[in-house]
Amino acid sequence: MVVCLYIAKTSSQVGKIMSCFSSSWDGTLSPNDFSVAARVFTERWERNNSSSPSWFWVNSPKGPPFLASSQHVDGYLSLENMCVLVSAEDNNEEVSCTVEEEAGFSEIEGAADSATLVQSNHHEAHYYDFHIVYSASYRVPVLYFRAYCSDGRPLLLNEIEKDLPACSSKVLLETKWTFITQEEHPFLNRPWYKLHPCGTREWMKLLCLGDEVAAKNGLAIELYLVSWFSVVGQVVGLKTPLEMVKKSV
Amino acid sequence: MENESQDSARKVIIQLKATADAPILKQKKFKMLGTDKFAKVIDFLRRQIHRETVFVYINSAFSPNPDELVIDLFNNFGVDGKLLVNYACSVAWG
Repeated sequence: MVVCLYIAKTSSQVGKIMSCFSSSWDGTLSPNDFSVAARVFTERWERNNSSSPSWFWVNSPKGPPFLASSQHVDGYLSLENMCVLVSAEDNNEEVSCTVEEEAGFSEIEGAADSATLVQSNHHEAHYYDFHIVYSASYRVPVLYFRAYCSDGRPLLLNEIEKDLPACSSKVLLETKWTFITQEEHPFLNRPWYKLHPCGTREWMKLLCLGDEVAAKNGLAIELYLVSWFSVVGQVVGLKTPLEMVKKSV
Repeated sequence: MENESQDSARKVIIQLKATADAPILKQKKFKMLGTDKFAKVIDFLRRQIHRETVFVYINSAFSPNPDELVIDLFNNFGVDGKLLVNYACSVAWG
């Protein structure tokens, strides 16, 4: 049961929202709160993370099927083309193998563009697209992502695993089916990787109600996505700048 | 205040607080160099509670990246001269 002291406001009044979590809050987020929190998250990310691509809201009025309009969020957050350089020093075998493939590819195609030549210095670029989608069944945000090489070939989970921080690959190994799996993107209907949301409300509850300062001052629900992303971002190696957390930025 | 943040070599007092089902440690308070990374706190906790992964978070409902410097966390989130670090046994995803 959701018992949050939520004061209904339109998203144009984001800055003034003072809604807080009460101690009986169950860790979830309403569809409207998601839209509000998404806006605050996007703004703060852009202000404090200028070197990274921006998050932007993708309007998609159609949305996932079978949902009542009250549960429906008409879009999702997207950050695309995040480039990860894979160094040959970290992973000799993998990259040398890829370089060979690349070389073969360019011979056949006869294309000698500079992007192919870059491969020769043992750095391969991987590109990541991230989407934050509201899950109406769990009432929490869910991270979807996909990855591809500079030639557009999608990366498989075992290749993505090598780009993930060490702690994530460990979790992936231990809990193969309950951490990252490939599923249909609710808006795009294509296979994307997804970080499992079942545990989200539990750790969000811990994160938001666990410490005395937050419990005393009341944590604004508009910062839900910032808090959530400070955990989820680490799984995929995305850092949340400290400045994003400050109450008044 | 400015001197404080510049002097990153100063020691920072870390106070550990067990939450959820995490075991309480005998030594709850210790000092570490401001130039140390937060990863050091995470590793310490991991060893102490004998877990492969541990869920670590601080005030303002924030889970810092392991490569943040302890002094930066203290300057932003320190309360009463300490950095309070909450920990729980690993997070369940699925």
